[in-house]
Amino acid sequence: MVNAESRGRRVFRSVNGLILTGVVVVTLYPFVTIVARSFSGERQIRAGEVNLWPKGFNLTTYRIVFQDGTFWRNYGNTVFYTVVSTAVAMVLTTCYAYVLSKRNLRGRGVLVGVAVFTMFFSGGLIPTYVLVTSLDLKNTVWALALPNAISVFNLLVMKAFFENLPDELEEAAQIDGLGTYGILLRIVLPLSKAVVATMVLFYSVSFWNSWFGAFLYMDRIELMPVTVYLRNLIAGATGGTGAGAGTEQLTQVAANIQAVTIVLTALPILSVYPFVQRYFVSGVMLGAVKG
Amino acid sequence: MKNAGHLSRRQILAAAAFAGLATLAGCGGDGPDDADDLAKKRDGAMKEYRTGQQFTASEPLTFSLLNLSNPVYPPQADWLFWKELTRRTRVTLKTTDVPYSDYEKKRSLLIGAGDAPLLLPKTYPGQETPFVSSGAILPVSEYVELMPNYRDKVRRWKLEPEVDSLRQSDGRYYLLPGLHEKVKSGYSLALRTDVLGRLGLALPTTWDEVADVFRAIKSEYPGRHPFSDRWNQPEPAGALLQSLGQAHGVRAGWSYLNAGWDAEAGRFVFTGATDGYRRVVEYLRTLVDEKLVDPEGFTQSDDDAVKKLLSEKSFAISANPQELVQNYRYNLERQVKGATIEMIPVPIGPAGPVVLGGSRLENGMMISSAARKRDDFVALMQFVDWLWYSDEGQTFARWGVEGVTYTRDGGTYRVADGISLMGSNPDAPKDLQKDFGVYNGVFSYGGSWELVSSAFGPDEKTFQDAMAQRRELPVDPAHPLGADEQEQATLWDTPLRDHVRQNTLRFILGKRPLTEWDAYVRELKAKNMDRLIDLHNKAHQRFRKEHG
Repeated sequence: MVNAESRGRRVFRSVNGLILTGVVVVTLYPFVTIVARSFSGERQIRAGEVNLWPKGFNLTTYRIVFQDGTFWRNYGNTVFYTVVSTAVAMVLTTCYAYVLSKRNLRGRGVLVGVAVFTMFFSGGLIPTYVLVTSLDLKNTVWALALPNAISVFNLLVMKAFFENLPDELEEAAQIDGLGTYGILLRIVLPLSKAVVATMVLFYSVSFWNSWFGAFLYMDRIELMPVTVYLRNLIAGATGGTGAGAGTEQLTQVAANIQAVTIVLTALPILSVYPFVQRYFVSGVMLGAVKG
Repeated sequence: MKNAGHLSRRQILAAAAFAGLATLAGCGGDGPDDADDLAKKRDGAMKEYRTGQQFTASEPLTFSLLNLSNPVYPPQADWLFWKELTRRTRVTLKTTDVPYSDYEKKRSLLIGAGDAPLLLPKTYPGQETPFVSSGAILPVSEYVELMPNYRDKVRRWKLEPEVDSLRQSDGRYYLLPGLHEKVKSGYSLALRTDVLGRLGLALPTTWDEVADVFRAIKSEYPGRHPFSDRWNQPEPAGALLQSLGQAHGVRAGWSYLNAGWDAEAGRFVFTGATDGYRRVVEYLRTLVDEKLVDPEGFTQSDDDAVKKLLSEKSFAISANPQELVQNYRYNLERQVKGATIEMIPVPIGPAGPVVLGGSRLENGMMISSAARKRDDFVALMQFVDWLWYSDEGQTFARWGVEGVTYTRDGGTYRVADGISLMGSNPDAPKDLQKDFGVYNGVFSYGGSWELVSSAFGPDEKTFQDAMAQRRELPVDPAHPLGADEQEQATLWDTPLRDHVRQNTLRFILGKRPLTEWDAYVRELKAKNMDRLIDLHNKAHQRFRKEHG
């Protein structure tokens, strides 16, 4: 069949390839520049010499950042917050989605409605803040994990996936003596690795990247995730020149230190992608069939 | 994250209003029996507290503080500053650390949620206004009796008009501003002195001379623009327009305000339509027209502007003392052989040797009205007075502990051996800000000229000494708007400001001929310029009638 490709098709493919290569270049360029900067000297960066390849190659910047206690503490926080929040989110979302997937459940429409309602309306910033504060969640991981434990989008994708599983499997399990939880844990979940892996990826990436919740609910710098650290670092370098901003109080954070921090922050979550990717594609596709 | 994103102005206002409902009951407490009441709030306070006296609480106290976390020196629990502060005053500060990047957002949120710490520093004059009607913020003007150092500095440095300009429509003010003895200027122009020397030119002192110097450079380097500017966000050429406006006695660039006080007419006028503002625009138009000033210089990024300077595509640029030393000079010396660059005092224009009024106020502190209900309220005010307004407190916040972090010889301060301050000694193992928490923007600002100038490098010293000789233009008189008026004014303000900003640029770049100035003023009228100015004038007259 390979030879049967028409001329038009070949042209289409090569044009396609060209365009996509262009997209890849555009997407990768900022990453490559940042990596190059992280290995470059500050003078070269300032003079605009650094592009795709490091100039004035050195590892000093990495050494400086590695020695920064605040950075590592915040980095550890990010890992901790991400793991706990993702675990909580997975348990709650899975249970909710599984329940919703049962067509014979009475009041199912209401339960779906409750979830979907929060997609369109939220309590607003201040009431949410007051709620979290009065529940004494401030300065704990729960302030980040609980308010974001269920993403409605993820919930609906999972629900669609569960609805797709043949009912006969569960019936057979029931006849063999499994209860509701047994069915979920021993039949449904092992068959749902794809969607579970996808959801873990979705959740962990969003928790890893998020900063706003921590910014709201954390009062001490040593409790902040690394995203807040990074945001502060970059804002400090770009926001200091407005009217009245005390220049003496805001020395610029060197461009190479910024670059190193960005690289170190993005690296772990980037390296997770390739391993989860095969689940990722099939998981989303499966959910989409009946979405 | 559902809530991720930015707080809009409307949300902030809503937050403030919400707080108002929650705390309105708390702000009616300053009636005639206030003095009696204060007598009951003296836990931990000193019986007799005067200027020149060390504040030490009679019992250990804890106050909460909104603490800005500067990315260059994030707060550390083991800072010498905290320990020494508690040792001297018996006060412990419980901090809520907020990243610099989003400080204002969090401050609004905390005030709105009724969860604000007692002390809210790093508040710039004007930023307190949205919270006033809510009652969440203490009208500090009613309690300055408790602050001898603050009153002393306001009186000795004749800052009453500045402080009065902070008054709100109820005649009180809600912000304890940072106080400067003399004007400290930030921005001016820097020029390549080696090029000037080669051409036999002296450093210019007036804007006319600046133009002449540019012309001379142009004739030597015909293909290049002598001046290419930076600091274009959010205001194009914010620093340049500010300096140039000052020379014409108007607020332009970064300091632009729609309503400006016309001392001769005795009323407010619309800044963007004044003759002074027009002359600023005309001046730059001429320079751009003669190709002395790079038209890209009004929109390009800071990086691009500096690159042009370093590659000798331009020979002058806007500057502040820090950028001059750490960026321009540092990099020029490495890239261009024999290059020297210097910053000049802001060139003088038709308004004479002046600086804008109100330049002696710095960012300062709001105090939560919850403080008033505490039994240690008096001690809190004394503490604030000592740390932020006494000479001893200010010296401590700026330099730390004598013999440990700095040494002093007469009026000269020096960091101790082995300590670096803002790169002064790159090999030093310790840093005054990072490792000791001293010279921290939250605690250290303003002060006597001796103290403020104690950290100037030689370049900055020359610059600031020259600028400190200038006469200060009168401060705009107080003209606080009522809550409804404020809302109306905000609706008119933004479109007007945008229109001025856009057209300033179009006139300067020659995209719109200056013959259309009258048409431009008509457009401003159509955008409610006159009504906005009326609003301010009425507010001014009302305030004068009610509060003298």
